[in-house]
Amino acid sequence: MKSTRVFQLTTLALVLVSVVQVGWWLFDQRSYARESVAAARTAYAEQTAAAQALLDAGTAPERVQALLPKILVSGGRAALAPAVDAALANEEAGRQRQYAWEGSFFLVALGLCIAVIARALRAEQRVLEEQDSFLALVSHQFKTPLASLQLSLETLALRTPPPERARVLTDRMLADLARMELMVTQILESARLERGRAHFRPEALQLAAAVSRVVAQLEERARSARVAITSSIDPQLHVMSDPLALDVVVRNVLENALAALAPVGSGSVAISARALGSEVELEVRDSGVGFAAADGARLFEKFTRLHPGGSNYYGTGLGLFIVRRLMELAHGRVSAESEGQGRGARFVLAWPASQGQRP
Amino acid sequence: MSAGGPRILVVEDDPHLAAGVIENLRAEGYEVSAAADGEQALASLPGTSCALVVLDVMLPGIDGFAVCRTLREQGNNTPVLFLTARGDPADRVRGLESGGDDYLAKPFHLQELLLRVRAIIRRRDWYHSVSDTAATAVLAFGGNEVDFRAFRARSWNGESQELTEKEAMILKVLAEHGGEIVSREDLLEKVWGYDVFPSTRTVDNFILRLRKRFERDPADPKHFLTVWGVGYRFLKDGGS
Repeated sequence: MKSTRVFQLTTLALVLVSVVQVGWWLFDQRSYARESVAAARTAYAEQTAAAQALLDAGTAPERVQALLPKILVSGGRAALAPAVDAALANEEAGRQRQYAWEGSFFLVALGLCIAVIARALRAEQRVLEEQDSFLALVSHQFKTPLASLQLSLETLALRTPPPERARVLTDRMLADLARMELMVTQILESARLERGRAHFRPEALQLAAAVSRVVAQLEERARSARVAITSSIDPQLHVMSDPLALDVVVRNVLENALAALAPVGSGSVAISARALGSEVELEVRDSGVGFAAADGARLFEKFTRLHPGGSNYYGTGLGLFIVRRLMELAHGRVSAESEGQGRGARFVLAWPASQGQRP
Repeated sequence: MSAGGPRILVVEDDPHLAAGVIENLRAEGYEVSAAADGEQALASLPGTSCALVVLDVMLPGIDGFAVCRTLREQGNNTPVLFLTARGDPADRVRGLESGGDDYLAKPFHLQELLLRVRAIIRRRDWYHSVSDTAATAVLAFGGNEVDFRAFRARSWNGESQELTEKEAMILKVLAEHGGEIVSREDLLEKVWGYDVFPSTRTVDNFILRLRKRFERDPADPKHFLTVWGVGYRFLKDGGS
């Protein structure tokens, strides 16, 4: 990254030097052309004067004309032939035009070079800034569970609590560790997506199977959180997606639904799907805390967390961001709506239907 | 002081961290209440006599700095201890500028948190104990009158002044030692606790503010005198 930058800056400096050089060359050539024509005119003026002197000295006009063919001799007067005069004027104008064109061409070409380099530099700067803010946010996200972990450990050390209190603290620490592990996974996932380097290999996938696999993984947690997950998906529905991406997307949306239900204490998540034109739509409806309409757009941005304290869930703020990026890669879409805080939410994911799908 | 000891409000959106802080403060004998975001904190504070607010900076909705600024604008002088994941100096300064009293970067040591909480409450208790009689609540000097309990003053030209808690505390420390030299370090320790501010220059700035409020000619102070290289001396009756 650094050596590219040095290369770009050096090139930029060279191009700028070239601009100055071309400018100077242009100026020099144009004044040289002017001076050359002026010198030619002076020479012709001398010839005219010489012809006039010869005429005045009584030399026969025919003789003078033969000696100095460029000078027009008539009626005892010598003058520069109009054709020669016009040719000189033409020559000067022609050269000025030529240099103006060539010079402008070079300047435009160099200007384009500068624009291209400046653009590259700016783009690079933006990437650097984004990485900076990404790092700042990531480290911030890490510090909270880290602080919680440290606090629990120091509480254990300082207060030697009874076994049941120690148990609570230990559970808390394990949850903090699990949260940090989830963060590392999601940060790596999102970093890969950021650079667009996710190897996305779409294939026809049975939606019902993918969903039930994820639901099975989350069932235990849902039960202990007193959340009922129901799913009714036609086994005929197939979507075009990368299998891993489909898994991640469904998992993240369901995790989000569980998070939204945690503050409520219990509730339900209903999953359904339908074919819609050339797409297959998956709907995840929860009876959780919902969100204000104004927050709907922010949901899928990086590090947006709308479930504040009181919940027992710890989001990284990356889950739904990853969903959005993966859905973009799958040429699908994702949207969320809620009738307001405390009124549940509805997430809709849509993938291109697989070609071989039967209606 | 109620049976549960001084009241502390903990504003932290992370449930684990909040629980850990609250349990430890309770174990130390404080009476603790909790808020999960800025709105909740601002809604719960008026009308209660809190000794301290432990305030997370990165909160959902309005952030901790804004909460603190709003409190100060409402004339609420409850001390604020910021907890934040961002520990860089620029952020520290922002926290203190928004009216905070102390600043602790995550992850922090439990002992340090407890120590700082204790120090802030001690400073506040000291201030209240030296301002709670009719004789000590009001200070009159050079035509100025300062009400330490209301954080209000009327200056010699009749202008009414709202004092910040820090200004009032500095004035109180100086007045307590009327006529004696008080070093910058002593002022720092009494008013802020040691390691909050990077330098004793802060004290100088506060003295400048006090002079602007209460001196007839701030360039030629009669009450807030500089003792070069040492600190300050407060003269009630004026001098030079």
